[in-house]
Amino acid sequence: MKIKRDTISEEIPTSSMADIAFLLIIYFMVTTTFAATRGLDFSLPKEEQDNTPLVDKEESVLIEIQPGGTLIVDGQPKPLNTILDYLKPKLERNPRKPVIIRPNQEAEYGYMVAVFDELRQAKEKIGIEVKNVSIPTQREIEMFWY
Amino acid sequence: MKLKARGTQNEGIPTASMADIAFLLIIFFMVTINFEVDKATVALPKSGLRFEIPKKSAYISVTSNGVIRVSSGEEISVPVPGPENVLSFAVDVVANNPGKAFVLKADKDVPYRYVDGVIDALKQARAEVIYLLSEQETVDGEDGGSG
Repeated sequence: MKIKRDTISEEIPTSSMADIAFLLIIYFMVTTTFAATRGLDFSLPKEEQDNTPLVDKEESVLIEIQPGGTLIVDGQPKPLNTILDYLKPKLERNPRKPVIIRPNQEAEYGYMVAVFDELRQAKEKIGIEVKNVSIPTQREIEMFWY
Repeated sequence: MKLKARGTQNEGIPTASMADIAFLLIIFFMVTINFEVDKATVALPKSGLRFEIPKKSAYISVTSNGVIRVSSGEEISVPVPGPENVLSFAVDVVANNPGKAFVLKADKDVPYRYVDGVIDALKQARAEVIYLLSEQETVDGEDGGSG
């Protein structure tokens, strides 16, 4: 009578390797989120530039942003796409003309970004860069606005 | 004369290299994955100009209901009670790395007073660069301010 012996395979079983690998792929694909990694840059004055001269309100262009997105430019309501045309002659006379963006505390933040973005695109749209844009905070307005 | 048996064709699909391909894909995902330090869900404002944000920047997020979260870029963001806490956070970050960029991830519909408090805190902390996180503006997209 023949006795059967169990033969033990000397190789590592790799048949399920592909299944495991594909499960890992599915996990990565499901959990991966494509994060937004771009935005508008906004440089603040450095410490050594503390002696930056105060901007005279009368010399600057004031853009006020009301809740709902209404823009008041130097006291006159204007649509966003006409701001650069309004600024162009002023910038031609004075390339360092200060432009102040003053959003109302209840205005939506998105409108501030829209105005800032429009000013940053001045070089492409009207051929002159708006070099001097400031967005004073409420604390600065209370301290320095006169 | 003996005839050689014809070459038998294997009917199965060769799957021996399947695991190699799968592992290559895993390595690709692991290398390219970008871990978000801030998971707050916000509707970002749109802008035509967008610049690449440096990696490991500090994040400050403001949700539509005014919840502020901060992260130094190394760990997951944590909520803070108000802008005064943003100031202490920003001072700490700037003290450790003076040139560190801050990313402001705020909801487009949040009242500006929340963002104003954050920007003011960053100004007081002597932050040098702030990035306003935004989405690409499209032709048919809304462009912000109205008349």
